[in-house]
Amino acid sequence: MNPIAATQHRRRRPTPPRRGERLRAGLALAALVATGLALSACGTVEAAAPSCPDAMRLALVAQSVPTASYLPCLHRLPDGWQVTQVDIASGHTILALLSDRAEGRAVVVTLLPSCDAGSATAEAPRADGIRTSVYLNSISDRYAGTMYDVFPGGCITYRFDFARGPHIALMEELNDTAGLLARRELRLDLRRQFGVELDP
Amino acid sequence: MTQHAAPGRPGGAADRRESPALAGVAAPTADRSIARVAPVGRRRRPSGEAPPLPRPVRHSTRVFLAVIAATAALEAALFARPILRVVTIGDDAVLRALVALRNEPTTQVLLAVTGLGSVWVARALAWATIAVLLAVRRFRHLLTYLVIWLAVSFVAAWLSVALGRMRPTGIVILGDWEGWAHPSRPVTNLALALVGILYTLVPHGRWRNLAKWVAVAVLGLVCAARLYLGVDHPSDIAVAVVLGWLLPIVVYRLVTPEEVFPVTYRRGTTAHLDVTGPRGQAIVQALDHQLGLDIVAVEPFGLAGSAGSTPLRLRTSSRGGTSRLLFGKLYAVTHLRSDRWYKLARTVLYGRLEDEKPFSTVRRLVMYEDHMLRLLRDTGLPTPAPYGLVEITPEREYLIVMEFCDGAREIGGAPLDDHELDDALRIVRRLWDAGVAHRDIKPSNLLVRDGSVLLIDVAFASVRATPWRQAVDLANMMLTLALCSEPERVYRHALRLFTAEDIAEAFAASRSITIPSQLRTRLRADRRDLVAEFRRLAPPRPPVPIQLWGLRRVAATAAVLGILALAIVVATAYVQVAGLV
Repeated sequence: MNPIAATQHRRRRPTPPRRGERLRAGLALAALVATGLALSACGTVEAAAPSCPDAMRLALVAQSVPTASYLPCLHRLPDGWQVTQVDIASGHTILALLSDRAEGRAVVVTLLPSCDAGSATAEAPRADGIRTSVYLNSISDRYAGTMYDVFPGGCITYRFDFARGPHIALMEELNDTAGLLARRELRLDLRRQFGVELDP
Repeated sequence: MTQHAAPGRPGGAADRRESPALAGVAAPTADRSIARVAPVGRRRRPSGEAPPLPRPVRHSTRVFLAVIAATAALEAALFARPILRVVTIGDDAVLRALVALRNEPTTQVLLAVTGLGSVWVARALAWATIAVLLAVRRFRHLLTYLVIWLAVSFVAAWLSVALGRMRPTGIVILGDWEGWAHPSRPVTNLALALVGILYTLVPHGRWRNLAKWVAVAVLGLVCAARLYLGVDHPSDIAVAVVLGWLLPIVVYRLVTPEEVFPVTYRRGTTAHLDVTGPRGQAIVQALDHQLGLDIVAVEPFGLAGSAGSTPLRLRTSSRGGTSRLLFGKLYAVTHLRSDRWYKLARTVLYGRLEDEKPFSTVRRLVMYEDHMLRLLRDTGLPTPAPYGLVEITPEREYLIVMEFCDGAREIGGAPLDDHELDDALRIVRRLWDAGVAHRDIKPSNLLVRDGSVLLIDVAFASVRATPWRQAVDLANMMLTLALCSEPERVYRHALRLFTAEDIAEAFAASRSITIPSQLRTRLRADRRDLVAEFRRLAPPRPPVPIQLWGLRRVAATAAVLGILALAIVVATAYVQVAGLV
């Protein structure tokens, strides 16, 4: 076969030298704005909290401890407070309330079939038929302890841990927020609103 | 080519003339004849007529969708107290009837059964499913599974909090429970786990039907137990089944249809579609109606060397003449996605020198290859004669048909004579003259028949390609030829068509990543360092930079790295939100 001279073919452009590519790429990199993405949690915890007038949500609390004659409920939250946990299951109800002045230490409200108030100091009852008491395990560095509401068929504990100083206002707000609803009242509400009997 | 047949006239009344480029070939010994109706010849599909392989929505899917829509309407209505009151009264009536059936032995048995609905069982099944899907690399199913789980978990959690429904009232609740009653979360989670296993791990057909009954039995038992124990209302269970069972089934059927994404454990790449059954018949019909070809056999061919399509060997009828062989490549949406990932990887690796846009549809991908076949044929290159392309399913599956190079062998099976060497190098010369780069020159794409070299698989070819890419074509051709010859001999023959500077540029642009993987494997197996040999023979030349940065490469690389980092964050949060930990 006769060799074909390269000049008889169409001229092909050879690979040219590159200049300025690195500079342009560097400018592009510098101009590229890094986007940050964060996942946000769904704000449904507070919606799940049993508020005092909401019979249907309080019904679940009542069903968690069928013997409890009183149920914990929440009045309107003061400014700076939020509900961070709602755990309602057979045998207990747990709510966590956090104030922006509490340094991340939430108040844990627990409904149980029974509890041992031990050597807690009696206080004025928060409702008829309830024995209210407070046990303080710290008063000097921090104001920390547990408040008990003991009643027939159940018990509500309020575990708190506040810094000294704001603790007076925080305890007042806690007392205003954490309400109690008698089971018999809830029974009547449910019968009226839904035509159901809470207990067998 | 083929004349048009009158529409609606079956029986092959059209006079079919084969392409003059096609040489008659002997019929193969293996026969994969398939059931088919009598051919009718080329005809245009009228508006409204179904394509050869339609993708209808199954009747049961429509029913499920209707049930889901009705459930959504019911859920919206439940936020109205009067409607919730009516539903609750109805629920409680059913539960009171069940309470009347209670006895101690049944209660003990069903208390144990409810353990199947525990969160730990659902999590174990979910993690096992994820592990298997990762192991078998069934990534589309895995992604669908994760999205379904997350979406359903979100919806169920939102519904339960928004409605805040109490547990059944007026009866003694025997089992343990947690959270709001509506919808029943344990039933939702168990249904999600079971349906996920059915549609991502169990092959379609007899096995899935059997597994479905087992899953239905398990779920049904758990639902019955929860009703008997008074833990959930009947409406809580019903909505949970819709959310956890019906909705995922609809999603799996639409997003991972069995025809395109089969659950299989046979060896082979997922790119290869099953051409038996309805798809095979659709291929025959499409070739008949759209190209006037009377096909009697469709069989996979050369699967081992193909990952970007399903290659097929087609045999025409011997009626009225000699039976002929044709070659077809079946493309589907899976191949389109593979093409996109491939081009993204090349953009990140090569930068501006390989700047190319991915195809937007399967149709465009197939049209491109058909166009390249015709272009290269018109420039005088020895490529298979094109026959055209047919539509199997609109916008989803297409088949490109071309000449079958019967009697040809892959280059490298035997030593090459001088004529064959020159023939092969002349291919690159013609590519350069036409301003085209093949971009995938390797032994499996070069065939030798009757002393001539044929170039196949032009899907990657590019018109007016970068000079670097053209140079790499020359390097890869010379390396392929040197595998069955000597580099000095190949170099001497190359000088007949190229200058020494051309050859020097070719090997200055050559890197490991520019050499196709099949060629790279064979070079490694060869004891000689052929790249170094050619560089020694050619004049010295500085390396040609092949990884160039540009704005698109910067953006693509940043996006890939960002997505990887985000994936880690999302995966960590996902397992918590979806309730998998």
